[in-house]
Amino acid sequence: MSAASAAVAPAPSRLRLGPLVLIAPAAILLAVFLVIPYLNILLMSFRAPGQGTPYGEGFTIANYLRFFSDGFYIRQVANTLWIGFLCTAICLVVGFPVAWQLARGSPRFRAIGYGLVLSPLLVGIVIRSYGWTILLGNNGLINRTLTNIGLIEGPLPLMYNALGIVIALVHVFLPFMILPLMAAIQGVDPSLETAARSLGASRLTAFRRVTLPLCMPGIQAGCILVFVLSLSAYVTPSLIGGLRVKTMAVTVVDALIDTFQWPWGSALALILSVTGALIVVLFARLTRMKWKVART
Amino acid sequence: MTVVRIESLSKVYGAVRAVDRISVEIGDGEFISLLGPSGCGKTTTLKMIAGFEEASEGAIRFDGADVVRVPAEKRDIGMVFQNYALFPHMTVDQNLAFGLEMRRVPRAEMRSRIDRVLEMVQLSGFSGRYPSQLSGGQQQRVALARALVIEPRILLLDEPLANLDAKLREEMRVFIRDLQRRVGITTVYVTHDQAEAMTMSDRVVVMFGGRIAQVGAPADIYERPQNLDVARFVGQVNLVSGTVASADDGTLAIDTAFGRAAAPARDGLHPGQAVTLSLRPEAIGLGAPGKAGAPGRVEARYYSGSLIDYRVALDGGETLHVQSFPTVAFAEGDRVSVHAPADRLWLIGAAQ
Ligand SMILES: Nc1ncnc2c1ncn2[C@@H]1O[C@H](COP(=O)(O)OP(=O)(O)OP(=O)(O)O)[C@@H](O)[C@H]1O
Ligand SMILES: [Mg+2]
Repeated sequence: MSAASAAVAPAPSRLRLGPLVLIAPAAILLAVFLVIPYLNILLMSFRAPGQGTPYGEGFTIANYLRFFSDGFYIRQVANTLWIGFLCTAICLVVGFPVAWQLARGSPRFRAIGYGLVLSPLLVGIVIRSYGWTILLGNNGLINRTLTNIGLIEGPLPLMYNALGIVIALVHVFLPFMILPLMAAIQGVDPSLETAARSLGASRLTAFRRVTLPLCMPGIQAGCILVFVLSLSAYVTPSLIGGLRVKTMAVTVVDALIDTFQWPWGSALALILSVTGALIVVLFARLTRMKWKVART
Repeated sequence: MTVVRIESLSKVYGAVRAVDRISVEIGDGEFISLLGPSGCGKTTTLKMIAGFEEASEGAIRFDGADVVRVPAEKRDIGMVFQNYALFPHMTVDQNLAFGLEMRRVPRAEMRSRIDRVLEMVQLSGFSGRYPSQLSGGQQQRVALARALVIEPRILLLDEPLANLDAKLREEMRVFIRDLQRRVGITTVYVTHDQAEAMTMSDRVVVMFGGRIAQVGAPADIYERPQNLDVARFVGQVNLVSGTVASADDGTLAIDTAFGRAAAPARDGLHPGQAVTLSLRPEAIGLGAPGKAGAPGRVEARYYSGSLIDYRVALDGGETLHVQSFPTVAFAEGDRVSVHAPADRLWLIGAAQ
């Protein structure tokens, strides 16, 4: 539609066009770079494995059968989900008090705290992961210090295991938990706690029954963000997990790039995405806020 | 129920004395208002009674027992906030049940108490709604119900009507007052609206700058203000100048433009001295020119339906604000004679 004809178009149609135009860039971006690639992956996951080529002739469900018949891969998915769950839980517990201080604390703390919270994001992901290997390795800073002061005899297993991956992921994903939590806490009127206490609730009860449920939108957003990011993290798990512990994302990349099995890698990627999505949907349903729905 | 005694209570924030040694006793079932301009310490006083602010000095006694060290949740008070502070994630029912759950009231009793109070505030059909689904006035009544359902010893309200429109505000005044009488609960009401304080309270505490300026029944405060600040803050007032004519037998005779007024003798006032008296606008009468009274001219006239406000310039130079019923009608520019009963002239003090 040309500019001139848009100008004379009747008001109602222009009104309906407005939102469409505004969401168009995002919609196009999503369609071209998310939906189409996903469809491509879906198609690829049903292709036959190739000999010397990324994929072969014809279609098959063999890739999925291979996954479900091999406990090794199922355990790997479970492991990946466990790491995601741990990251999310730790970020929530560690992040909440920080978000609280940022939202309710003194303005001076807020400025400094904000910078500190965002600081993990200022360092590139590869450098940061190498940094963690320096700290966590058997010969790393932590183990050497502890050995030198005589607290431990042999090195603690901090790397090449789930613990190391969780430590490094929590470090970088913490801001994604803290920021939505902070916004949610800021949205809760402090006089609600006062009201709860005037009705006979202790500070703790007032927090548990009033403030915490009202922070739920932020908790939801933060948990989903951190969980999804942990499932799909690649660089950190591959550097810190090494060959010993592999998350699903690492295995997928191995299949696609190292061993060149595109259909197999696609099937693994889809299984991980669908499992993750199901968990997110379940979580969102369990934490659904009836009062939010009633607000309309 | 409960008698509240406040004994030289102070709250100090750094260099500011937000509340400065106030003392007042609130009787069992009494409705008392804290009235004063913004920043005079009303909310701070209320918060100290509720236990949300710690008193810097002094005592607060509920039936004789000092509660200054008792935490807020143990004081058994019901509080209504200016912004209502309803829990947005709970229905009306759940909001009301909250305080009862804290008191471990059995389920069945809880139900009957909630129903009874909802009926009292005329919201029986609303128990399943969330606060966001209620109008401002309805939210206000839920807040009131939530404070009353726990049957507290004392009800505290901090400008609960400030967010309502004028008409609803007047309805709610009567509503709250009637409800308070029926329940018979000791009530402290904070407002900066003098009309609200006057219509609702048994007694009014007028505060300025953290101190109590006067405590008394609404009529006391209005008719017999103890100083110029109180006179000015509580309703409109004309200041009339006079001269002390004589002082005998503990009584002062004062000559004014409206004749001779009497007042109890006061230290520092002696014959010949210039003094200031207050005269309320509705106490002044207007008559046809030439009748008894001080001659003057109507400068301005404001019609408001039930009343007419006039601005009258006396020939002597003073300007008066006069309020009369529409049965007495003068036009702008009319000459009038202005009279006032001597007993409505109230001595404020020496002229400044
Ligand atoms: N937390 C605080 N820190 C420092 N000063 C305070 C604090 N709270 C109140 N004040 C000061 O104490 C004085 C009394 O405050 P208060 O809130 O009691 O006034 P108020 O009479 O309720 O006024 P308003 O009608 O505006 O609500 C004010 O000068 C205020 O600035
Ligand atoms: Mg206040």
